[in-house]
Amino acid sequence: MSKEKCIANDLLSKTNSTKKEALEFLDKIDQKKESTHWPNIKPKLFYDNLKLNLEKPMSFYPGRSTNFCAYGALSYLIMEKDPLGYVKFMNDLYEKGEAIFNKNNFKPSTAVMEAAGTLKFKGVLDIRHAEQMWFLVLADKFKGYLNFFDKKFNEGDENTFWAATNLAKFDRMVGKMCGTHVKAVGSDLIKPWVKNVYSYLEKRIDSNIVSLYINNRIIHKKNHDKVKFSIPTHFIILRQIRKENNMITLRYWDYGGETEMQITNRTLKKIIFGIITIDK
Amino acid sequence: MIRHGLFIFLIIYFLLTASCSTKIISNNYYQEQKENLDNIERSYEKLNPINPFSLAFTDKEFRIISLEMISDTLTRIYEFNVSEKRLADTLLKYNYDTAGIYYLLRKMQQTKVTWINNFDYYVNDQPQQLIILSIKPVTIRYIFSPPKYIALAYFRTEQFFDEKGRLLDSRRTKQLRKIKGQVFYKITDRICYTITEKYR
Repeated sequence: MSKEKCIANDLLSKTNSTKKEALEFLDKIDQKKESTHWPNIKPKLFYDNLKLNLEKPMSFYPGRSTNFCAYGALSYLIMEKDPLGYVKFMNDLYEKGEAIFNKNNFKPSTAVMEAAGTLKFKGVLDIRHAEQMWFLVLADKFKGYLNFFDKKFNEGDENTFWAATNLAKFDRMVGKMCGTHVKAVGSDLIKPWVKNVYSYLEKRIDSNIVSLYINNRIIHKKNHDKVKFSIPTHFIILRQIRKENNMITLRYWDYGGETEMQITNRTLKKIIFGIITIDK
Repeated sequence: MIRHGLFIFLIIYFLLTASCSTKIISNNYYQEQKENLDNIERSYEKLNPINPFSLAFTDKEFRIISLEMISDTLTRIYEFNVSEKRLADTLLKYNYDTAGIYYLLRKMQQTKVTWINNFDYYVNDQPQQLIILSIKPVTIRYIFSPPKYIALAYFRTEQFFDEKGRLLDSRRTKQLRKIKGQVFYKITDRICYTITEKYR
């Protein structure tokens, strides 16, 4: 019996700020003020959500049935690197209707400002007004070819191509927002040219943050059809990978928490379309 | 030659026009299976709060089960053949009510329930729960046509519907409450249904 195990260390060791600094900043803010820029954001839900983001960064929840998973993965990276930058940015955005994060200027559209705070039936995202704002603003700012025919936000667009992210857009977004070096193998249609996917991941997980672009429909089936389109649908952050008796156990972060599943080496190869390695 | 071309054209036309017309044989699945479906919902409602989980049959024969065991920090997703001993071992290991879940699985197989899960949603910022069951009904399905499932939503409290029987967001609004992008229709004050191409 062979048993191998690799665990990701604490992510992004070069941090720009700490959780303590961010919480101190938040404590000094008037948390009852309403914003004319964001008519549907409730101040209490907004600031409670920011506090939760700091205390439990892994609780970021991109919402049920939305196309926000890539922004969720990005949030995970940002909260590890610069929590103070995140809360300052969110507070500026709330107060002034525009803000700068790592030299990226955000001036969201009126439609997005009106939509934040109104998303419903998305699970706990319904009452997380800061996360609603954050995901909508990111989707509004960063565009890739998947967004070509749907660039302007309309009601319900959080579930459509307006919010979708392709691999190149994700790499660009992570590079710009985190200011770190990003290396990706794979593409939106063709799987990465990697001889042994397990070894490739195993080698990188300790010294880098590894994000995967996967076809979630294979492991999370939604109908009983045997023929399925082989396209990637989901971004996750790989937290742990181990091999035991030819079965691979993946532990990854996506919707507000960690998921563990066992798959064969063949399925691992089948589901992965992109491996994104991010410098710590 | 022209007749031959016309024949091929007609076949293609038939295939394309038939492609969006999967028909569910029964128009009244809930009433026919009411007792079994309500029983499944009640069993799940009793088991889930103790140790949260969801169940999905991922094959047409209702033999392969995808079990999601949900805790505050980790969701474990494992796939088993229902007859495998590994399933019972796993349930036991993570302190699930093994007998209760096996009973639920049997009932789901008998009633063709392909998925059961708990949903959280919010009304006036307060958490609410509902249970969703997806059923794989007998259908007439043409080539290229998508599959069809019946999804039942069991709310805990009375819901509000418009004159067409569509589920509304609240008493005071005409806004429809869509679950996973689907409009739901009234069966009782607390139970509604939709027809969908995905079981979850």
